[in-house]
Amino acid sequence: MGKKVIMALAGLFWFLFLLAHLLGNLTIFAGPDALNGYAHKLEGLKALVIAAELFLALALIFHAMYGIIVWWEKWQARPQKYAMYRSKGKPSYQTTSSRTMLYTGIVIFIFVVIHLLNFKFGRFETTTINGQEVRDLFVLVKEVFHQPGYLIFYEVVMILLGFHLRHAFWSAFQSLGWGNQKYTPMLYKLGVLLAIIIAAGFFTIPIYVYLKY
Amino acid sequence: MAFSVDKIKEGKPLDGRIPEGPIEKKWDRRKNELKVVSPNNKRKYTILVVGTGLAGASASAALAELGYNVKTFCIQDSPRRAHSIAAQGGINAAKNYQNDNDSVFRLFYDTIKGGDFRAREGNVYRLAQLSVDIIDQAVAQGVPFAREYGGLLANRSFGGVLVSRTFYARGQTGQQLLLGAYGALMRQVDLGQVEIFPRREMLDLVVIDGKARGIVVRNLITGEIESYVGHAVILASGGYSNVYYLSTNAKNSNATAVWRAYKKGAYFANPSFTQIHPTAIPQSGHYQSKLTLMSESLRNDGRVWVPKKKGDKRPPNQIPEEERDYYLERKYPSFGNLVPRDVASRNAKFMCDAGYGVGEFGRAVYLDFSDAIKRRGIDYIRDKYGNLFEMYEKITGENPYEVPMKIYPAPHYTMGGLWVDYNLMSTIPGLFVLGEANFSDHGANRLGASALMQGLADGYFIIPYTIGDYLASTDLPNVTTEEKEFQESRNAIQEFVKRLLSVKGKKTVMELHIELGELMWDYVGMARNEKGLKLVLEKLPELKKEFWNNINVPGSDKNLNKALEFAGRLYDFIELGELMALDALHRNESCGGHFREEYQTPEGEALRDDEHFSYVAGWEYPGNDEDTPILHKEPLVFENVKPTQRSYK
Amino acid sequence: MSDKNMTLTLRIWRQKDANSKGGFETYTVTDISPDMSFLEMLDVLNDNLTKEGKEPVEFDNDCREGICGMCSLVINGIPHGDQHRTATCQLHMRHFHDGQTITIEPFRAKAFPVVKDLVVDRSAFDRIIAKGGYISVNTGSAQDANNIPISKEAADAAMDSAECIGCGACVAACPNASASLFVSAKISQYTFLPQGQPERYRRVLRMVEQMDAEGFGGCSNHGECEAVCPKGISIANIARMRREYVKASLR
Repeated sequence: MGKKVIMALAGLFWFLFLLAHLLGNLTIFAGPDALNGYAHKLEGLKALVIAAELFLALALIFHAMYGIIVWWEKWQARPQKYAMYRSKGKPSYQTTSSRTMLYTGIVIFIFVVIHLLNFKFGRFETTTINGQEVRDLFVLVKEVFHQPGYLIFYEVVMILLGFHLRHAFWSAFQSLGWGNQKYTPMLYKLGVLLAIIIAAGFFTIPIYVYLKY
Repeated sequence: MAFSVDKIKEGKPLDGRIPEGPIEKKWDRRKNELKVVSPNNKRKYTILVVGTGLAGASASAALAELGYNVKTFCIQDSPRRAHSIAAQGGINAAKNYQNDNDSVFRLFYDTIKGGDFRAREGNVYRLAQLSVDIIDQAVAQGVPFAREYGGLLANRSFGGVLVSRTFYARGQTGQQLLLGAYGALMRQVDLGQVEIFPRREMLDLVVIDGKARGIVVRNLITGEIESYVGHAVILASGGYSNVYYLSTNAKNSNATAVWRAYKKGAYFANPSFTQIHPTAIPQSGHYQSKLTLMSESLRNDGRVWVPKKKGDKRPPNQIPEEERDYYLERKYPSFGNLVPRDVASRNAKFMCDAGYGVGEFGRAVYLDFSDAIKRRGIDYIRDKYGNLFEMYEKITGENPYEVPMKIYPAPHYTMGGLWVDYNLMSTIPGLFVLGEANFSDHGANRLGASALMQGLADGYFIIPYTIGDYLASTDLPNVTTEEKEFQESRNAIQEFVKRLLSVKGKKTVMELHIELGELMWDYVGMARNEKGLKLVLEKLPELKKEFWNNINVPGSDKNLNKALEFAGRLYDFIELGELMALDALHRNESCGGHFREEYQTPEGEALRDDEHFSYVAGWEYPGNDEDTPILHKEPLVFENVKPTQRSYK
Repeated sequence: MSDKNMTLTLRIWRQKDANSKGGFETYTVTDISPDMSFLEMLDVLNDNLTKEGKEPVEFDNDCREGICGMCSLVINGIPHGDQHRTATCQLHMRHFHDGQTITIEPFRAKAFPVVKDLVVDRSAFDRIIAKGGYISVNTGSAQDANNIPISKEAADAAMDSAECIGCGACVAACPNASASLFVSAKISQYTFLPQGQPERYRRVLRMVEQMDAEGFGGCSNHGECEAVCPKGISIANIARMRREYVKASLR
């Protein structure tokens, strides 16, 4: 059971990261300079960023590892499957999201790797903002999002991310033992809302870039 | 050949070994006399316990705590499922927490009176004394009894009494008490003191040198016949209401364990004393497999009525107040709807027999909560009875918050059982019988919320003392399962099982059981008469013949086969039915649940005959199935209460 | 015979014993009254089968009033069927319609091996309870029951958890075959009560250890268990169990 606690903590940390990441990315709506400026500011907090990155990497490993273990145990725990299985509906929280956490998780993991290769470790170009030379991330963003295949892949993953987060948020609190009859339904609704906000936020950026630039 | 009253031979009178002295001191006095087994010697003894209801589970746990080795057997897949779990309303205790002048004596008096003066004073007084310890014990175990806002325990009233002494956990008191006892039992399993044998059915008692030394059981999964040796055997296998087929008992509840013990020499006491509970959901069709009880506690707030006009088919809400007959309130102004069960049941039957019944078959009366809802509000009613109302709606599809419940009496509890002395030992040394399986404390009618009390008193507080005395004062040489008595038992069982499977007739076990049930309900049910009882005594031997000629038991004896289990139980029920009819026929009086139509007061109340029948009837198996059983009387002595005509007016 | 009566097709899992491979058999029952309970409908089937010289279908049942927890069955994909807060024995045929096909399977989990047909072995639950589903008090040593005041709220909350009937539907419905709801309900009951405090941490550690040893899956918060529970026991109990577990582990 301790596994679920670590998994939940790791997941919540990523959740916070996604929120922060989204807020940062939204600067793109203020134009290329805003995005590049934001990226540059982050560069300035190098030590903090590296610490966060290490922590995120570690969290991802534990989160994924325990996710796979839970999935494996589940296969072990019911060797003979039901010929017919249905959810009874409310108050069950069983959804497509909750049943596909491992699969959406794997896709997201693959995405994260590609995403890092594309951007973090992508081509290094520079531009100047207010006379200062900074990395030009925008040009990379524009180029990547104008490849239709990648665009579609990215958008599909964002939808799957939404599904993953929909179950993830309340579930993390439940795993940490913070659920009760009063707050759990509220947490669930909040989770759905946040999942939609995060997924929709990330979803609009590529389309915006594709259409505008 | 049928049993007959003329052929009853009377044997030696029975001695209940009740201690001398004033009634308050009897139990203390007995405890002082009882020998005690030293802690080191306790682990040398093995005790076999059959049944894991309140009595069996509490006895197993309490004996294991003392250091005895306990082997516990149950018919279900888990000891937690015994039918005590279905008791709804509550458990009585003379705590006087409500300051309503309750006392041990008052609980004692109510129980003796409720039982229509057919119970032993000594036993009942001890039961009332121990009732207070039971509540303490249950609370210490974490049983979540209902509480007041101040944090103290809440109480409610039950039928037949004028005080509030019933402790309850919503409508699931039996469940919570049983889970408490089951927890105590499982703790001893963890400590290695108890070994549990689930899905085992006891099919014989093994008596060696005149003492109970073991049991033979069938493993219900593998079909294997297994033997177990012990220094004493405890039967806590419950009652036999399923003799009526339709009852509030669980489907697995049966009389086989006690019946086979009877055939090995344990006397069966007062078999005709059965309780028909007044508030069950009426039967809705021929296919019905059981009747569901609605707790007696409902009569605290529900009012019982029928239309004043015969055959009134209007929906209840359209029958105006002045056209309703609240017959219990009319006939019994002081107790009203809270008369004892036998009185309430009989009156419901009278009203329906007279043509005032409601429902599809005219075999129901209304239990109406509209006044209570008006007076106390719907939330109050929901808080108190919510789960019962929910259950009623599930089964009938009607909402009792809006439409009055329809209820009708149903077989529920059997006061009769194996005869035991004050120490709870049967006529076979080393065979102890606890809970509903014995006959001891309820006389001819049990008061509501007293079954849980008796089961736990027997298991937690009586047997741990009395069994030690038996073990310490008896020479019990080592025996093995290879003794000839064990082998004979096993052979007899195997033959019986083979015979059951070989008939391959045309009637299923269920069909024959329904036939038995209808006979018993019509003639040995709520009201009995000589003609009907004689008829049953002729019909049952025919039914036995029909059984052996025409039963169809499918499957094999090598694995799980419920039809085979039920067939064996059915045969025992038919034989027990004969004994019940004989007992009812010989008792030429009415008392409590035993109502002989020939013996009633002008108002239709039970008319006792204390001069001739103030005794416990203990029946001895005559050694074969044909001869009429032998009657042993245990005279009832009343030194502290004077038997009177029961009045609840 | 009433014109409301139904004819139904039953697809039932038959399995000779624990070691055999099972499979579905199809049967037809006629003249089923809407007032029958589901188990009474199966009684009718079994009587028919017996008369046809076939072996009846074995299924566990006892009290038939929804409290003993012995009945089970997965009915059309849902443990205890699709009525809320209802055990199979209290499910009535009025919730089905004429001509319907009903699929009936046993509870499926590695920790609940099939014994025969629809009967499974749930003794894993007993072994978990043996590890701490009680308060360790010996008989006779209790103080007066009113010496420990317990607030009505605490007693009610304990009762909400204590209502569990141990049927195992939570395991059967859980996509992971987890026993978390059953175990957490027992742990919660004692967490609410002062009597439960001395063994609080030992209890949760031992019971959870046994639960894992029995081969149940982990909980991933689908919440399906609460939906199928005949007593509607809340998954808030599972959260509470985790809280207790974390506290106990950190001690």
